[in-house]
Amino acid sequence: MERAESSVGEAERRHLGETAGLIMRSRNNPEPLWPTIDGPLGLSEEDSVSYARKFFKFGFLLLPLLWAVNCFYFWPVLRHSPSFPRIRRYVLGSAVGFVGFTVMLSSWALTFAIGGERLFGPVWERLVMYNVADRLGLSGWN
Amino acid sequence: MAQNTKPPSILETIGEEIIRIVTPVSICMFLVVLLVAILNTDTSDSSSSITTMATIAYNEDPSDSLWDKIKGALLNSLVFVVIVTVTTFLLVLLFYFRCIKFLKFYMGFSAFIVLGFLGGEVALFLIEMYTFPIDCITFLVLLFNFTVVGGMSVLMSNLPILINQGYLVVIGMLVAYWFTLLPEWTTWVLLVAMALYDLAAVLLPGGPLRLLVELAIERDEDIPALVYEARPVTHDESALRQRRLWRLRRSVDSGSAENMNSESNSSSNANTVSNSMNCQNETRLVVAEEGQRRESVSELAVPLIPPPSQSTRDGQEVISSENLHLEGIGLGSSGAIKLGLGDFIFYSVLVGRAAMYDFMTVYACYLAIIAGLGITLMLLALYQKALPALPVSILLGVLFYFLTRMLLEAFVVQCSVNLIMF
Repeated sequence: MERAESSVGEAERRHLGETAGLIMRSRNNPEPLWPTIDGPLGLSEEDSVSYARKFFKFGFLLLPLLWAVNCFYFWPVLRHSPSFPRIRRYVLGSAVGFVGFTVMLSSWALTFAIGGERLFGPVWERLVMYNVADRLGLSGWN
Repeated sequence: MAQNTKPPSILETIGEEIIRIVTPVSICMFLVVLLVAILNTDTSDSSSSITTMATIAYNEDPSDSLWDKIKGALLNSLVFVVIVTVTTFLLVLLFYFRCIKFLKFYMGFSAFIVLGFLGGEVALFLIEMYTFPIDCITFLVLLFNFTVVGGMSVLMSNLPILINQGYLVVIGMLVAYWFTLLPEWTTWVLLVAMALYDLAAVLLPGGPLRLLVELAIERDEDIPALVYEARPVTHDESALRQRRLWRLRRSVDSGSAENMNSESNSSSNANTVSNSMNCQNETRLVVAEEGQRRESVSELAVPLIPPPSQSTRDGQEVISSENLHLEGIGLGSSGAIKLGLGDFIFYSVLVGRAAMYDFMTVYACYLAIIAGLGITLMLLALYQKALPALPVSILLGVLFYFLTRMLLEAFVVQCSVNLIMF
């Protein structure tokens, strides 16, 4: 009887807690733990799951910044991993994706910048941005 | 039951709110001054031949006489103000017919354009000035990322608040930089004209912005526009006398007010009010425990003084190429201060223009603008309704610019040259 009651109480509290958008950490420490970095001004937990998923998927359209925003937004999820199992998958994926993409992009950019003409030959002049801008007349005000 | 030992000092309440709105304005102005200082060193005061909406009527020529320039500037400003008025009325009409989605989409699209094109142009200028060896692929990827995330942050309200605020500041900075490329007299007359227009549009009974604000209040909706909203400052129950509006969701007992606030302070962002979140989304439930110290998120009703007007903000429309911005200052539905993006833009234009002359004028104009903003905030606290944020600051700023340029500069230069002071 007691256990059933307490388990029902737990479930009910958890249910209420989730619909209220926060998770109580433990019985002794009832501080609400918000999944987003904005705290109480941010999203509730189930909204967070859908947003984390959407950001993760959209990031594949060549948008590593979106992955970074995802990690930044759900920073509490990364810090208190056990509490948000559903969101954590997407946020971790975003973090991994962002780091990977950054490594690739920066290695290419650094090779380009440091290698310069010696490495690339005449193609360098054609690829570098200020020449492209000159050629296409981009830097005049329209 | 948490008791507060002393009420929050005036620094903590009003000072914190003022700081939260003055900081982004200052950052925007600083960035514009930086851009102007870097990018305009070669062209001293030459009139650029850009043909924009603001120079349709007259494009200034350095060889024109002073009177011609003034006349041309007046004509330009008149055309600009007329265009802005028409567009604001269009916005009011669309808002009246509830085309909210269209407006939001338009905001996102214009943010996209500003960030993409203007941001790209400014970035190209910087790259060319410093011959930074970036290749076009990397540049395009970065610009694409930046623009898309910026567009998203304007369209949806579900990105981190910091990112939203940052992008609004960047958009303001880019548009303000673009405005500083206008000819000089046109800029000054335009600023004064916009200040007067703002005054008229918000305070006159037939003004488009007043209509917009009244419609928004009556329908209990947010105006769909580019508006910077400062984070609300948290208070405890002694802040009931503050101008905050919370809506009653459930009956809670009297003791729950203090507890709720003391609990909400435990979140990582110590300066947020848990209620303000709920004002946005009314489907939050209240977790009410046995009425003791565990009330979490509940919303209290504190009527605004005067009686409940939810979101009071004023707006002023400024069109620049494709953008619709709102200028003006007011209180958001959560009690946070909202400042329209047009205000950011015009303040920064003033300071940027001052930077084109010398840094002395920059300091004078910056102080004048911040003083004007402070006065406007005080008036906002006094009158509790939407107020135009442009007139006081712009008029003070223009006045100080001309005074500095004509009087102060001679004094300071002579003192320095003769090694008396400075």
